[in-house]
Amino acid sequence: MIRALYSAASGMSAQQLNIDNISNNLANANTTGYKTRRAQFQDLLYQNIIAPGSASGQSTVVPAGLQLGLGTRTASNEIIFSQGNFASTSNPLDLVIEGRGFFQIKQSSGTTAYTRAGNFQLDATGNIVDANGNQLIPQITLPPTAQSIHIAGDGTVSYTLTGQIQAQTAGQITLANFQNPAGLSSVGSSLYVPTDASGDAIIGTAGGTEGLGTLQQGYIEQSNVSVVDEFINLITAQRAYEANSKVVKAADDMYQQANNLTK
Amino acid sequence: MDNISISAASGMRARMESLELLANNLANVETSGYKADKEFYSLYTSLDATSDPGTGEIATLPVIENHWTDAAQGELRNTTNPFDFAIDGDGLFSVQTARGIRYTRNGSFKILPSGALAASDGSPVRALGGGQIVLQPNIPVDVLPDGTVRQGLQTVGQMEVVSFDRNAINKEGSSFYMAAPNAKSKPASGAIMQGKLEQSNVGTAESAVRLVAIMRQFEMLQKAAGIGNDLNKQAIEQVARVVS
Repeated sequence: MIRALYSAASGMSAQQLNIDNISNNLANANTTGYKTRRAQFQDLLYQNIIAPGSASGQSTVVPAGLQLGLGTRTASNEIIFSQGNFASTSNPLDLVIEGRGFFQIKQSSGTTAYTRAGNFQLDATGNIVDANGNQLIPQITLPPTAQSIHIAGDGTVSYTLTGQIQAQTAGQITLANFQNPAGLSSVGSSLYVPTDASGDAIIGTAGGTEGLGTLQQGYIEQSNVSVVDEFINLITAQRAYEANSKVVKAADDMYQQANNLTK
Repeated sequence: MDNISISAASGMRARMESLELLANNLANVETSGYKADKEFYSLYTSLDATSDPGTGEIATLPVIENHWTDAAQGELRNTTNPFDFAIDGDGLFSVQTARGIRYTRNGSFKILPSGALAASDGSPVRALGGGQIVLQPNIPVDVLPDGTVRQGLQTVGQMEVVSFDRNAINKEGSSFYMAAPNAKSKPASGAIMQGKLEQSNVGTAESAVRLVAIMRQFEMLQKAAGIGNDLNKQAIEQVARVVS
């Protein structure tokens, strides 16, 4: 009986976590480069009341036994790296990756982080930086007089100087990918850092044969959160929470009646 | 105790176990690939209880003798994640865990740092006849309905999908099933669908109905036990009253 109470409680806490996850997805529905996360659940251990295969008579065995499960737990909330929609902007430093790669960003601590958010800007010294002012790797510097900045599909950044016709090359943006991108760890500000599960970064050029994807200038990648799906998930999570709370109530009522047997 | 109380108490215990099964089903209503457990009631007849010396009737008590797992297909939900797989129809994915081969309907797979396709706990998915399915990074993966995994039209391996008799497998937790030691597997007929996950097949509406039924039956049995109790009480207090 206590098992029913705890199973239902585990279901309630799992749904609570599910709703936390859904609300974070919805809160980031307009975050550039945000990738949705999905909670995954697993059943917990089973308690053998009658072991399967135990003898039920001299020559017969119980075919299936009686196993009571002890509830659910949250296994993971994994990142879904599907492509988000592209929105056109007029900023020449807004980039999207049409493919599976990541931009490399040098954090203020000096370590490299990875991101899909390509809304870049220039800092005071002309370096390409992300929205938080962290430098893009490899470092690309544009002179203050640079005109008509062009970023090719393979990441080559070129510009012309006032009064000149010849284009100058400032550098080439390289991209990174991972064996298991779902194993990356989010550190906020749309940045990811590698873990043992993701493996080390594999660096390559955009548009190459590595399949990292090509760059598109003048677009940003919107989040891949589907608001409709999230609302459906929200409804089912809420109903599942409600159903589990009903079981708590039922278990409590039955317990009370059992206690009232000797009134 | 008298017969009424014993029968009623046995019935109450069985309903409590039913509620425990139902609670576990409802807790796992969002667990991918979860299959609902249901109970069989049966009549318990112990050898000692076979004959009542007076009437020769056999005393029978309701108990939950065993449970069965409802293998009905869960709904397939689109996830757009290329490493989510669902089986449409009969079959189980085989996974090589540290404890031996386990089976699962939860096709939410991941890639290990080595490139091997693995279940959510990191145990590699078995290729047909053993071995792992190792993927190259950066090349899109597509999976055919028979479980053949391809990258850029090159076949990398085939997932082992097997089928067992219902009684030959037991739940182990963490979405895994364990096969009985001598169980024979056969090739499965289900189709592998990429980018989909099988939802749990627990029906919330049906569970709500069962919840009400269990509670009302419990209430009736409690009343019956109470009546048995009253009869006993009257027997003790009135029949055996010594008139002074």
